[in-house]
Amino acid sequence: MKKQSVLPVIFASFFKSGFKAKRTRVFILLSLIPVVLMLIMRVMETAGSLRGGGAADFFAKATLVLYFQLLIPILALFFGSTIVNEELDNKTLVYLTTVPVRRRTVLLGKYLADFLQAFLLVGSGFLLCFLAASITRLGDAAAWEELGLFLGTALLALFCYSALFTAAGAFMKKSILLGLFFVFGWESVVQYFPGVTQKFTIIHWIKSLLPVPPGEGGFLIFHLQPSPALESVLMLTGAGLLFLFLAVFIFERKEYILSDNA
Amino acid sequence: MTAVLKSEKLSKWYGNVLGISDINLEIGSGITGLLGPNGAGKSTFLKIAAGQLKPKIGSLKIFGEEIFGNPGLFRRIGFCPEHDSAYNEMSGWQFILLLARLHGFAGHEAEARSEKALLTVGLLESKDRQIKGYSFGMRQRLRLASSILHEPEILMLDEPLRGIDPLWRIKIMQLIKEYGKQGRTVIVSSHILPEIESMTSEIVLIHQGKIFAKGDIHRIRGLIDSHPHQISIRCPEPRQLAQKLIGSDFVLSVDFDKDGRTLTVKTSQRDHFFNALMGLIVTDKLAVEEITSPDDNLQAVFDYLIGK
Repeated sequence: MKKQSVLPVIFASFFKSGFKAKRTRVFILLSLIPVVLMLIMRVMETAGSLRGGGAADFFAKATLVLYFQLLIPILALFFGSTIVNEELDNKTLVYLTTVPVRRRTVLLGKYLADFLQAFLLVGSGFLLCFLAASITRLGDAAAWEELGLFLGTALLALFCYSALFTAAGAFMKKSILLGLFFVFGWESVVQYFPGVTQKFTIIHWIKSLLPVPPGEGGFLIFHLQPSPALESVLMLTGAGLLFLFLAVFIFERKEYILSDNA
Repeated sequence: MTAVLKSEKLSKWYGNVLGISDINLEIGSGITGLLGPNGAGKSTFLKIAAGQLKPKIGSLKIFGEEIFGNPGLFRRIGFCPEHDSAYNEMSGWQFILLLARLHGFAGHEAEARSEKALLTVGLLESKDRQIKGYSFGMRQRLRLASSILHEPEILMLDEPLRGIDPLWRIKIMQLIKEYGKQGRTVIVSSHILPEIESMTSEIVLIHQGKIFAKGDIHRIRGLIDSHPHQISIRCPEPRQLAQKLIGSDFVLSVDFDKDGRTLTVKTSQRDHFFNALMGLIVTDKLAVEEITSPDDNLQAVFDYLIGK
Protein backbone atom coordinates (compact mmCIF):
# COMPACT_ATOMS: atom_id res chain seq x y z
CA MET A 1 0.00 0.00 0.00
CA LYS A 2 1.35 3.39 -0.98
CA LYS A 3 1.28 5.65 2.07
CA GLN A 4 0.93 9.37 2.21
CA SER A 5 1.23 11.96 4.92
CA VAL A 6 -2.21 12.94 6.14
CA LEU A 7 -1.55 16.44 7.52
CA PRO A 8 -1.44 17.99 4.01
CA VAL A 9 -4.57 15.99 3.11
CA ILE A 10 -6.52 17.42 6.04
CA PHE A 11 -5.14 20.89 5.44
CA ALA A 12 -5.95 20.90 1.71
CA SER A 13 -9.40 19.41 2.14
CA PHE A 14 -10.57 21.82 4.84
CA PHE A 15 -8.86 24.80 3.25
CA LYS A 16 -10.77 24.15 0.04
CA SER A 17 -14.12 23.35 1.62
CA GLY A 18 -13.76 26.29 4.01
CA PHE A 19 -14.18 28.73 1.15
CA LYS A 20 -17.56 27.21 0.35
CA ALA A 21 -18.80 27.74 3.91
CA LYS A 22 -21.33 30.51 4.48
CA ARG A 23 -19.36 31.96 7.38
CA THR A 24 -16.37 32.57 5.09
CA ARG A 25 -18.53 34.66 2.76
CA VAL A 26 -19.69 36.71 5.75
CA PHE A 27 -16.08 37.23 6.82
CA ILE A 28 -15.06 38.25 3.31
CA LEU A 29 -17.70 41.00 3.45
CA LEU A 30 -16.59 41.95 6.96
CA SER A 31 -12.96 42.23 5.93
CA LEU A 32 -13.96 44.48 3.03
CA ILE A 33 -15.44 47.14 5.35
CA PRO A 34 -12.07 48.84 6.07
CA VAL A 35 -11.22 48.67 2.34
CA VAL A 36 -14.44 50.45 1.43
CA LEU A 37 -13.86 53.08 4.13
CA MET A 38 -10.29 53.54 2.96
CA LEU A 39 -11.40 53.96 -0.66
CA ILE A 40 -13.96 56.56 0.41
CA MET A 41 -11.21 58.47 2.21
CA ARG A 42 -8.94 58.25 -0.82
CA VAL A 43 -11.68 59.52 -3.15
CA MET A 44 -12.47 62.37 -0.73
CA GLU A 45 -8.81 63.31 -0.53
CA THR A 46 -8.46 63.24 -4.32
CA ALA A 47 -11.62 65.34 -4.67
CA GLY A 48 -10.19 67.85 -2.22
CA SER A 49 -12.81 67.43 0.49
CA LEU A 50 -10.19 65.92 2.79
CA ARG A 51 -6.88 67.58 3.56
CA GLY A 52 -3.73 66.17 1.97
CA GLY A 53 -2.49 63.08 3.84
CA GLY A 54 -5.93 62.58 5.35
CA ALA A 55 -6.25 59.10 3.86
CA ALA A 56 -2.88 58.07 5.26
CA ASP A 57 -3.91 59.46 8.66
CA PHE A 58 -7.13 57.50 8.51
CA PHE A 59 -5.14 54.37 7.75
CA ALA A 60 -2.81 54.91 10.70
CA LYS A 61 -5.60 55.72 13.15
CA ALA A 62 -8.86 54.03 12.17
CA THR A 63 -7.81 51.19 9.87
CA LEU A 64 -5.23 49.81 12.27
CA VAL A 65 -7.79 49.93 15.06
CA LEU A 66 -10.31 48.13 12.89
CA TYR A 67 -7.86 45.42 11.96
CA PHE A 68 -5.91 44.81 15.13
CA GLN A 69 -8.58 45.42 17.74
CA LEU A 70 -11.63 44.17 15.90
CA LEU A 71 -11.25 42.16 12.69
CA ILE A 72 -8.27 40.01 13.61
CA PRO A 73 -9.57 38.95 17.06
CA ILE A 74 -13.08 38.38 15.67
CA LEU A 75 -11.89 36.33 12.70
CA ALA A 76 -9.55 34.36 14.94
CA LEU A 77 -12.39 33.80 17.39
CA PHE A 78 -14.80 32.45 14.80
CA PHE A 79 -12.24 30.42 12.88
CA GLY A 80 -10.46 29.10 15.97
CA SER A 81 -13.38 28.22 18.16
CA THR A 82 -15.24 26.43 15.37
CA ILE A 83 -12.37 24.08 14.50
CA VAL A 84 -13.70 21.53 16.97
CA ASN A 85 -17.16 22.89 17.70
CA GLU A 86 -18.27 22.83 14.08
CA GLU A 87 -17.44 19.13 13.96
CA LEU A 88 -19.51 18.63 17.10
CA ASP A 89 -22.47 20.66 15.88
CA ASN A 90 -22.52 18.88 12.53
CA LYS A 91 -21.74 15.53 14.18
CA THR A 92 -18.92 14.97 11.70
CA LEU A 93 -16.16 14.54 14.27
CA VAL A 94 -16.75 10.80 14.16
CA TYR A 95 -15.30 10.62 10.62
CA LEU A 96 -12.05 12.24 11.69
CA THR A 97 -11.69 10.16 14.84
CA THR A 98 -12.38 6.74 13.34
CA VAL A 99 -9.49 6.84 10.90
CA PRO A 100 -5.89 5.81 11.65
CA VAL A 101 -4.81 9.40 12.22
CA ARG A 102 -3.71 10.94 15.48
CA ARG A 103 -6.10 13.53 16.81
CA ARG A 104 -3.29 16.06 16.98
CA THR A 105 -2.79 15.73 13.22
CA VAL A 106 -6.49 16.33 12.65
CA LEU A 107 -6.47 19.42 14.85
CA LEU A 108 -3.28 20.87 13.41
CA GLY A 109 -4.40 20.24 9.82
CA LYS A 110 -7.67 22.01 10.45
CA TYR A 111 -5.96 24.80 12.40
CA LEU A 112 -3.53 25.49 9.56
CA ALA A 113 -6.36 25.53 7.00
CA ASP A 114 -8.41 27.99 9.05
CA PHE A 115 -5.41 30.10 9.98
CA LEU A 116 -4.37 30.48 6.36
CA GLN A 117 -7.93 31.32 5.32
CA ALA A 118 -8.16 33.99 8.00
CA PHE A 119 -4.77 35.40 7.05
CA LEU A 120 -5.71 35.56 3.37
CA LEU A 121 -8.86 37.49 4.27
CA VAL A 122 -7.02 39.89 6.55
CA GLY A 123 -3.93 40.16 4.38
CA SER A 124 -5.73 40.90 1.13
CA GLY A 125 -7.95 43.52 2.79
CA PHE A 126 -4.95 45.03 4.50
CA LEU A 127 -3.01 45.17 1.25
CA LEU A 128 -5.86 46.97 -0.51
CA CYS A 129 -6.17 49.46 2.35
CA PHE A 130 -2.45 50.05 2.31
CA LEU A 131 -2.42 50.62 -1.44
CA ALA A 132 -5.28 53.11 -1.15
CA ALA A 133 -3.54 54.95 1.70
CA SER A 134 -0.05 54.97 0.21
CA ILE A 135 -0.78 55.35 -3.48
CA THR A 136 1.30 58.50 -3.67
CA ARG A 137 4.41 56.88 -2.18
CA LEU A 138 4.43 53.41 -3.72
CA GLY A 139 7.94 54.00 -5.05
CA ASP A 140 9.18 54.54 -1.50
CA ALA A 141 10.86 51.43 -0.06
CA ALA A 142 9.94 52.51 3.46
CA ALA A 143 6.26 52.22 2.58
CA TRP A 144 6.72 48.57 1.58
CA GLU A 145 8.73 47.90 4.71
CA GLU A 146 5.82 49.30 6.68
CA LEU A 147 3.44 47.00 4.83
CA GLY A 148 5.69 44.03 5.60
CA LEU A 149 5.65 44.97 9.26
CA PHE A 150 1.86 45.30 9.33
CA LEU A 151 1.38 41.96 7.59
CA GLY A 152 3.93 40.25 9.82
CA THR A 153 2.21 41.62 12.91
CA ALA A 154 -1.17 40.56 11.55
CA LEU A 155 0.22 37.06 10.96
CA LEU A 156 1.50 36.80 14.53
CA ALA A 157 -1.69 38.27 15.95
CA LEU A 158 -3.85 35.79 14.05
CA PHE A 159 -1.59 32.90 15.01
CA CYS A 160 -1.76 33.75 18.70
CA TYR A 161 -5.47 34.62 18.91
CA SER A 162 -6.64 31.69 16.82
CA ALA A 163 -4.49 29.23 18.80
CA LEU A 164 -6.06 30.57 22.01
CA PHE A 165 -9.59 30.23 20.64
CA THR A 166 -8.85 26.77 19.20
CA ALA A 167 -7.87 25.63 22.69
CA ALA A 168 -11.02 27.20 24.15
CA GLY A 169 -13.14 25.53 21.44
CA ALA A 170 -11.56 22.15 22.12
CA PHE A 171 -12.30 22.57 25.81
CA MET A 172 -15.85 23.91 25.84
CA LYS A 173 -18.93 24.10 23.64
CA LYS A 174 -19.83 27.76 24.21
CA SER A 175 -16.34 29.09 23.71
CA ILE A 176 -17.50 31.93 21.44
CA LEU A 177 -19.16 33.67 24.39
CA LEU A 178 -16.02 33.37 26.43
CA GLY A 179 -14.02 34.60 23.45
CA LEU A 180 -16.20 37.67 23.01
CA PHE A 181 -15.76 38.47 26.68
CA PHE A 182 -12.01 38.09 26.27
CA VAL A 183 -11.80 40.30 23.17
CA PHE A 184 -14.16 43.06 24.22
CA GLY A 185 -13.70 42.79 27.96
CA TRP A 186 -10.28 41.66 29.03
CA GLU A 187 -8.30 42.83 26.02
CA SER A 188 -10.00 46.22 25.85
CA VAL A 189 -10.01 47.06 29.55
CA VAL A 190 -6.83 45.55 30.93
CA GLN A 191 -4.57 47.24 28.41
CA TYR A 192 -5.37 50.57 30.07
CA PHE A 193 -4.60 49.35 33.59
CA PRO A 194 -1.48 50.83 35.10
CA GLY A 195 1.63 48.79 35.79
CA VAL A 196 2.52 45.57 34.06
CA THR A 197 -1.03 44.21 34.04
CA GLN A 198 -1.41 45.14 30.38
CA LYS A 199 1.26 42.60 29.55
CA PHE A 200 -1.34 39.94 30.31
CA THR A 201 -3.16 40.89 27.14
CA ILE A 202 -2.29 39.79 23.64
CA ILE A 203 -3.04 43.22 22.23
CA HIS A 204 -0.20 44.78 24.27
CA TRP A 205 2.38 42.66 22.41
CA ILE A 206 0.72 43.34 19.08
CA LYS A 207 0.72 47.10 19.65
CA SER A 208 4.34 46.97 20.69
CA LEU A 209 5.20 45.80 17.17
CA LEU A 210 3.33 48.54 15.34
CA PRO A 211 5.47 51.44 14.17
CA VAL A 212 3.41 54.26 15.61
CA PRO A 213 5.09 56.23 18.36
CA PRO A 214 3.29 56.51 21.72
CA GLY A 215 0.87 59.37 21.84
CA GLU A 216 0.00 59.09 18.17
CA GLY A 217 -3.05 57.26 16.98
CA GLY A 218 -6.16 57.00 19.12
CA PHE A 219 -5.87 53.43 20.24
CA LEU A 220 -2.15 53.40 20.60
CA ILE A 221 -1.95 55.42 23.79
CA PHE A 222 0.21 53.54 26.25
CA HIS A 223 0.41 54.01 29.97
CA LEU A 224 3.43 51.77 29.75
CA GLN A 225 6.09 52.03 27.08
CA PRO A 226 5.76 49.42 24.35
CA SER A 227 7.77 46.28 24.93
CA PRO A 228 10.81 45.69 22.72
CA ALA A 229 10.00 44.28 19.29
CA LEU A 230 11.99 41.08 19.71
CA GLU A 231 10.39 40.39 23.08
CA SER A 232 6.97 40.98 21.55
CA VAL A 233 7.62 38.61 18.67
CA LEU A 234 8.86 35.95 21.07
CA MET A 235 5.91 36.47 23.39
CA LEU A 236 3.34 36.20 20.60
CA THR A 237 5.05 33.17 19.07
CA GLY A 238 5.55 31.49 22.44
CA ALA A 239 1.99 32.15 23.59
CA GLY A 240 0.62 30.93 20.26
CA LEU A 241 2.62 27.71 20.50
CA LEU A 242 1.57 27.23 24.10
CA PHE A 243 -2.12 27.67 23.24
CA LEU A 244 -1.74 25.30 20.32
CA PHE A 245 -0.10 22.71 22.53
CA LEU A 246 -2.94 23.14 25.01
CA ALA A 247 -5.51 22.68 22.22
CA VAL A 248 -3.83 19.44 21.11
CA PHE A 249 -3.55 18.22 24.71
CA ILE A 250 -7.27 18.76 25.30
CA PHE A 251 -8.41 17.40 21.94
CA GLU A 252 -6.41 14.20 22.30
CA ARG A 253 -7.84 13.39 25.72
CA LYS A 254 -11.35 14.78 25.75
CA GLU A 255 -14.37 12.63 25.07
CA TYR A 256 -16.85 14.43 22.83
CA ILE A 257 -20.46 13.36 23.09
CA LEU A 258 -22.16 13.97 19.78
CA SER A 259 -25.83 13.59 20.59
CA ASP A 260 -28.57 11.96 22.62
CA ASN A 261 -27.35 8.60 23.59
CA ALA A 262 -29.24 5.50 22.72
CA MET B 1 -14.49 -18.78 19.70
CA THR B 2 -11.55 -16.36 19.57
CA ALA B 3 -12.82 -13.05 20.86
CA VAL B 4 -12.09 -10.09 18.61
CA LEU B 5 -13.93 -7.75 20.91
CA LYS B 6 -14.03 -8.25 24.65
CA SER B 7 -15.70 -6.11 27.26
CA GLU B 8 -15.48 -6.60 30.99
CA LYS B 9 -17.76 -4.93 33.51
CA LEU B 10 -18.23 -2.17 30.97
CA SER B 11 -20.33 0.71 32.28
CA LYS B 12 -21.01 4.17 31.01
CA TRP B 13 -23.32 6.89 32.14
CA TYR B 14 -23.88 10.50 31.21
CA GLY B 15 -24.33 12.56 34.34
CA ASN B 16 -27.21 10.76 36.03
CA VAL B 17 -28.34 8.99 32.89
CA LEU B 18 -27.30 5.38 32.50
CA GLY B 19 -25.90 4.41 29.12
CA ILE B 20 -24.79 0.84 29.74
CA SER B 21 -24.08 -1.10 32.90
CA ASP B 22 -21.82 -4.03 33.70
CA ILE B 23 -21.57 -5.46 30.21
CA ASN B 24 -19.42 -8.56 29.89
CA LEU B 25 -19.31 -9.64 26.31
CA GLU B 26 -17.08 -11.48 23.89
CA ILE B 27 -17.65 -11.23 20.17
CA GLY B 28 -15.81 -13.33 17.62
CA SER B 29 -15.83 -13.52 13.86
CA GLY B 30 -19.10 -13.63 11.94
CA ILE B 31 -22.14 -11.41 12.29
CA THR B 32 -23.49 -10.46 15.70
CA GLY B 33 -26.73 -8.60 15.96
CA LEU B 34 -27.11 -6.05 18.72
CA LEU B 35 -30.80 -5.87 19.37
CA GLY B 36 -32.74 -3.62 21.68
CA PRO B 37 -35.36 -0.91 21.78
CA ASN B 38 -34.42 2.73 21.28
CA GLY B 39 -32.42 4.01 24.24
CA ALA B 40 -31.33 0.51 25.28
CA GLY B 41 -27.62 1.30 25.13
CA LYS B 42 -26.69 -0.20 21.74
CA SER B 43 -25.21 3.02 20.39
CA THR B 44 -23.35 3.73 23.61
CA PHE B 45 -21.78 0.29 23.40
CA LEU B 46 -20.81 0.80 19.76
CA LYS B 47 -19.46 4.29 20.42
CA ILE B 48 -17.19 2.91 23.13
CA ALA B 49 -16.15 0.12 20.77
CA ALA B 50 -15.40 2.73 18.10
CA GLY B 51 -13.27 4.82 20.45
CA GLN B 52 -15.70 7.71 20.54
CA LEU B 53 -16.48 7.41 24.23
CA LYS B 54 -14.44 6.32 27.22
CA PRO B 55 -15.76 3.65 29.56
CA LYS B 56 -16.64 4.96 33.02
CA ILE B 57 -15.96 1.58 34.61
CA GLY B 58 -14.52 -1.58 33.11
CA SER B 59 -12.85 -2.04 29.79
CA LEU B 60 -13.44 -2.82 26.17
CA LYS B 61 -10.66 -4.21 24.05
CA ILE B 62 -10.46 -4.95 20.36
CA PHE B 63 -7.73 -7.31 19.22
CA GLY B 64 -6.52 -7.11 22.83
CA GLU B 65 -6.00 -3.36 22.75
CA GLU B 66 -7.79 -0.42 24.31
CA ILE B 67 -9.46 1.63 21.61
CA PHE B 68 -9.72 5.21 22.90
CA GLY B 69 -6.68 7.19 21.77
CA ASN B 70 -5.39 4.27 19.71
CA PRO B 71 -5.86 5.43 16.10
CA GLY B 72 -3.69 2.67 14.65
CA LEU B 73 -6.50 0.21 15.35
CA PHE B 74 -8.73 1.97 12.84
CA ARG B 75 -6.81 0.37 9.99
CA ARG B 76 -8.67 -2.78 11.08
CA ILE B 77 -11.97 -1.24 12.15
CA GLY B 78 -14.81 0.25 10.16
CA PHE B 79 -17.54 2.21 11.91
CA CYS B 80 -20.82 3.42 10.46
CA PRO B 81 -22.37 5.93 12.88
CA GLU B 82 -26.08 6.37 13.48
CA HIS B 83 -26.06 10.16 13.03
CA ASP B 84 -27.21 11.61 9.76
CA SER B 85 -24.08 13.69 9.36
CA ALA B 86 -21.60 14.47 6.62
CA TYR B 87 -19.61 17.35 5.20
CA ASN B 88 -22.50 18.79 3.23
CA GLU B 89 -20.36 21.17 1.21
CA MET B 90 -18.39 18.26 -0.23
CA SER B 91 -19.49 15.93 -2.98
CA GLY B 92 -19.88 12.24 -2.20
CA TRP B 93 -16.66 11.59 -4.09
CA GLN B 94 -14.67 14.26 -2.19
CA PHE B 95 -15.93 12.89 1.12
CA ILE B 96 -15.03 9.26 0.41
CA LEU B 97 -11.72 10.18 -1.20
CA LEU B 98 -10.81 12.27 1.85
CA LEU B 99 -11.50 9.32 4.13
CA ALA B 100 -9.56 6.97 1.83
CA ARG B 101 -6.58 9.30 2.07
CA LEU B 102 -6.96 9.57 5.82
CA HIS B 103 -6.77 5.80 5.88
CA GLY B 104 -3.36 6.21 4.33
CA PHE B 105 -4.14 5.31 0.74
CA ALA B 106 -2.53 7.50 -1.88
CA GLY B 107 -3.01 8.32 -5.54
CA HIS B 108 -4.72 5.74 -7.69
CA GLU B 109 -5.25 3.34 -4.82
CA ALA B 110 -7.26 5.93 -2.89
CA GLU B 111 -9.34 6.60 -6.00
CA ALA B 112 -9.83 2.93 -6.77
CA ARG B 113 -10.95 2.17 -3.24
CA SER B 114 -13.29 5.16 -3.17
CA GLU B 115 -14.79 4.11 -6.47
CA LYS B 116 -15.27 0.54 -5.30
CA ALA B 117 -16.92 1.64 -2.03
CA LEU B 118 -19.29 3.99 -3.86
CA LEU B 119 -20.10 1.34 -6.43
CA THR B 120 -20.88 -1.14 -3.65
CA VAL B 121 -23.49 1.16 -2.14
CA GLY B 122 -24.84 2.33 -5.51
CA LEU B 123 -23.64 5.93 -5.33
CA LEU B 124 -21.04 5.95 -8.07
CA GLU B 125 -23.35 7.70 -10.51
CA SER B 126 -24.19 10.41 -7.95
CA LYS B 127 -20.64 10.81 -6.71
CA ASP B 128 -20.16 14.35 -8.00
CA ARG B 129 -23.32 15.72 -6.42
CA GLN B 130 -22.98 17.70 -3.21
CA ILE B 131 -23.92 15.62 -0.17
CA LYS B 132 -26.52 18.19 0.87
CA GLY B 133 -28.45 17.20 -2.27
CA TYR B 134 -28.54 13.51 -1.28
CA SER B 135 -31.65 11.89 0.15
CA PHE B 136 -31.56 10.46 3.67
CA GLY B 137 -31.14 6.95 2.30
CA MET B 138 -28.27 8.02 0.04
CA ARG B 139 -26.49 9.68 2.95
CA GLN B 140 -26.96 6.48 4.95
CA ARG B 141 -25.39 4.48 2.11
CA LEU B 142 -22.55 6.99 1.93
CA ARG B 143 -21.85 6.42 5.61
CA LEU B 144 -21.77 2.71 4.94
CA ALA B 145 -19.31 3.29 2.07
CA SER B 146 -17.09 5.28 4.44
CA SER B 147 -16.94 2.32 6.83
CA ILE B 148 -16.03 -0.34 4.24
CA LEU B 149 -13.64 1.46 1.91
CA HIS B 150 -10.56 0.13 3.71
CA GLU B 151 -12.03 -3.39 3.95
CA PRO B 152 -11.78 -3.65 7.73
CA GLU B 153 -11.49 -6.84 9.73
CA ILE B 154 -14.17 -5.66 12.12
CA LEU B 155 -17.15 -3.70 10.92
CA MET B 156 -19.47 -1.94 13.36
CA LEU B 157 -22.74 -0.67 11.96
CA ASP B 158 -25.13 1.37 14.05
CA GLU B 159 -28.65 1.04 12.62
CA PRO B 160 -27.29 0.74 9.05
CA LEU B 161 -30.65 0.04 7.42
CA ARG B 162 -32.49 3.05 8.81
CA GLY B 163 -34.11 5.07 6.05
CA ILE B 164 -32.93 2.82 3.24
CA ASP B 165 -35.35 1.77 0.52
CA PRO B 166 -36.37 -1.91 0.30
CA LEU B 167 -34.18 -2.71 -2.71
CA TRP B 168 -31.01 -1.36 -1.14
CA ARG B 169 -31.99 -2.84 2.20
CA ILE B 170 -31.73 -6.31 0.65
CA LYS B 171 -28.46 -5.48 -1.09
CA ILE B 172 -26.91 -4.13 2.10
CA MET B 173 -28.05 -7.15 4.06
CA GLN B 174 -26.34 -9.31 1.42
CA LEU B 175 -23.19 -7.22 1.71
CA ILE B 176 -23.17 -7.65 5.48
CA LYS B 177 -23.70 -11.39 5.15
CA GLU B 178 -20.87 -11.54 2.62
CA TYR B 179 -18.57 -9.81 5.11
CA GLY B 180 -19.56 -12.36 7.75
CA LYS B 181 -18.89 -15.26 5.38
CA GLN B 182 -15.39 -13.92 4.71
CA GLY B 183 -14.60 -14.50 8.37
CA ARG B 184 -14.68 -10.85 9.34
CA THR B 185 -16.40 -9.63 12.46
CA VAL B 186 -19.55 -7.63 11.89
CA ILE B 187 -21.54 -6.05 14.70
CA VAL B 188 -24.81 -4.64 13.53
CA SER B 189 -27.33 -2.89 15.74
CA SER B 190 -31.04 -2.54 15.21
CA HIS B 191 -34.28 -2.28 17.09
CA ILE B 192 -36.10 -4.31 14.46
CA LEU B 193 -35.99 -8.04 15.05
CA PRO B 194 -36.72 -9.27 11.49
CA GLU B 195 -33.87 -7.10 10.19
CA ILE B 196 -31.33 -8.75 12.46
CA GLU B 197 -32.91 -12.15 12.03
CA SER B 198 -32.40 -12.04 8.29
CA MET B 199 -28.66 -11.39 8.70
CA THR B 200 -27.57 -13.54 11.61
CA SER B 201 -28.58 -16.10 14.15
CA GLU B 202 -26.15 -14.76 16.76
CA ILE B 203 -27.74 -11.94 18.69
CA VAL B 204 -27.24 -9.96 21.85
CA LEU B 205 -30.34 -8.48 23.44
CA ILE B 206 -29.73 -5.20 25.24
CA HIS B 207 -32.27 -3.53 27.41
CA GLN B 208 -31.92 -0.61 29.83
CA GLY B 209 -28.15 -0.68 29.43
CA LYS B 210 -27.73 -4.33 30.32
CA ILE B 211 -27.36 -7.52 28.34
CA PHE B 212 -30.69 -9.20 28.63
CA ALA B 213 -29.88 -12.34 26.68
CA LYS B 214 -27.17 -13.54 24.37
CA GLY B 215 -26.82 -16.44 22.02
CA ASP B 216 -28.47 -18.20 19.17
CA ILE B 217 -31.54 -16.48 17.81
CA HIS B 218 -33.66 -19.61 18.15
CA ARG B 219 -33.28 -19.62 21.91
CA ILE B 220 -34.07 -15.93 22.11
CA ARG B 221 -36.83 -16.34 19.59
CA GLY B 222 -38.39 -18.86 22.00
CA LEU B 223 -38.42 -16.20 24.68
CA ILE B 224 -39.83 -13.63 22.32
CA ASP B 225 -42.39 -15.98 20.84
CA SER B 226 -43.87 -16.65 24.26
CA HIS B 227 -44.90 -13.00 24.24
CA PRO B 228 -48.47 -12.52 23.00
CA HIS B 229 -48.06 -10.52 19.80
CA GLN B 230 -50.55 -8.08 18.39
CA ILE B 231 -51.08 -8.08 14.66
CA SER B 232 -53.35 -5.63 12.85
CA ILE B 233 -54.92 -6.66 9.56
CA ARG B 234 -56.76 -4.26 7.28
CA CYS B 235 -59.16 -5.94 4.90
CA PRO B 236 -62.59 -5.41 3.29
CA GLU B 237 -64.21 -8.26 5.30
CA PRO B 238 -62.67 -8.18 8.78
CA ARG B 239 -65.55 -10.10 10.43
CA GLN B 240 -65.31 -12.92 7.93
CA LEU B 241 -61.58 -13.19 8.56
CA ALA B 242 -62.10 -13.06 12.33
CA GLN B 243 -64.58 -15.92 12.10
CA LYS B 244 -61.97 -18.09 10.40
CA LEU B 245 -59.20 -17.18 12.85
CA ILE B 246 -60.98 -17.33 16.18
CA GLY B 247 -61.14 -21.13 16.24
CA SER B 248 -57.34 -21.46 16.26
CA ASP B 249 -55.60 -22.34 19.53
CA PHE B 250 -52.95 -19.69 19.09
CA VAL B 251 -55.40 -16.80 18.71
CA LEU B 252 -56.01 -15.30 22.13
CA SER B 253 -58.34 -12.45 21.20
CA VAL B 254 -59.69 -10.46 18.28
CA ASP B 255 -60.68 -6.78 18.35
CA PHE B 256 -62.30 -4.65 15.68
CA ASP B 257 -61.23 -1.11 15.12
CA LYS B 258 -63.71 1.73 14.79
CA ASP B 259 -63.10 2.09 11.07
CA GLY B 260 -64.76 -1.31 10.51
CA ARG B 261 -61.96 -2.41 8.19
CA THR B 262 -59.26 -3.42 10.65
CA LEU B 263 -59.04 -6.23 13.15
CA THR B 264 -56.30 -6.65 15.72
CA VAL B 265 -55.43 -10.18 16.68
CA LYS B 266 -53.52 -11.15 19.79
CA THR B 267 -51.60 -14.41 19.32
CA SER B 268 -49.32 -16.50 21.51
CA GLN B 269 -47.50 -18.01 18.51
CA ARG B 270 -46.66 -15.45 15.91
CA ASP B 271 -45.15 -17.81 13.32
CA HIS B 272 -48.09 -20.23 13.46
CA PHE B 273 -50.47 -17.34 13.15
CA PHE B 274 -48.77 -16.00 10.05
CA ASN B 275 -48.75 -19.48 8.46
CA ALA B 276 -52.45 -19.83 9.14
CA LEU B 277 -53.19 -16.35 7.82
CA MET B 278 -51.25 -16.99 4.61
CA GLY B 279 -53.17 -20.25 4.20
CA LEU B 280 -56.48 -18.43 4.52
CA ILE B 281 -55.45 -15.78 2.05
CA VAL B 282 -54.54 -18.45 -0.51
CA THR B 283 -57.25 -21.08 0.03
CA ASP B 284 -60.22 -18.86 0.94
CA LYS B 285 -59.10 -16.05 -1.36
CA LEU B 286 -59.50 -13.49 1.41
CA ALA B 287 -58.43 -10.01 0.42
CA VAL B 288 -55.95 -8.38 2.78
CA GLU B 289 -54.83 -4.79 2.27
CA GLU B 290 -52.26 -4.38 5.00
CA ILE B 291 -50.68 -6.33 7.83
CA THR B 292 -48.85 -4.43 10.55
CA SER B 293 -47.40 -5.49 13.84
CA PRO B 294 -47.15 -2.93 16.61
CA ASP B 295 -44.79 -5.41 18.26
CA ASP B 296 -42.15 -5.04 15.56
CA ASN B 297 -40.83 -2.42 17.87
CA LEU B 298 -39.04 -4.46 20.48
CA GLN B 299 -40.06 -2.26 23.37
CA ALA B 300 -43.31 -4.17 23.84
CA VAL B 301 -41.50 -7.50 23.77
CA PHE B 302 -38.93 -6.37 26.29
CA ASP B 303 -41.61 -4.95 28.54
CA TYR B 304 -43.28 -8.33 28.45
CA LEU B 305 -40.08 -10.28 29.06
CA ILE B 306 -39.06 -8.25 32.07
CA GLY B 307 -42.56 -8.56 33.46
CA LYS B 308 -43.73 -4.95 33.21
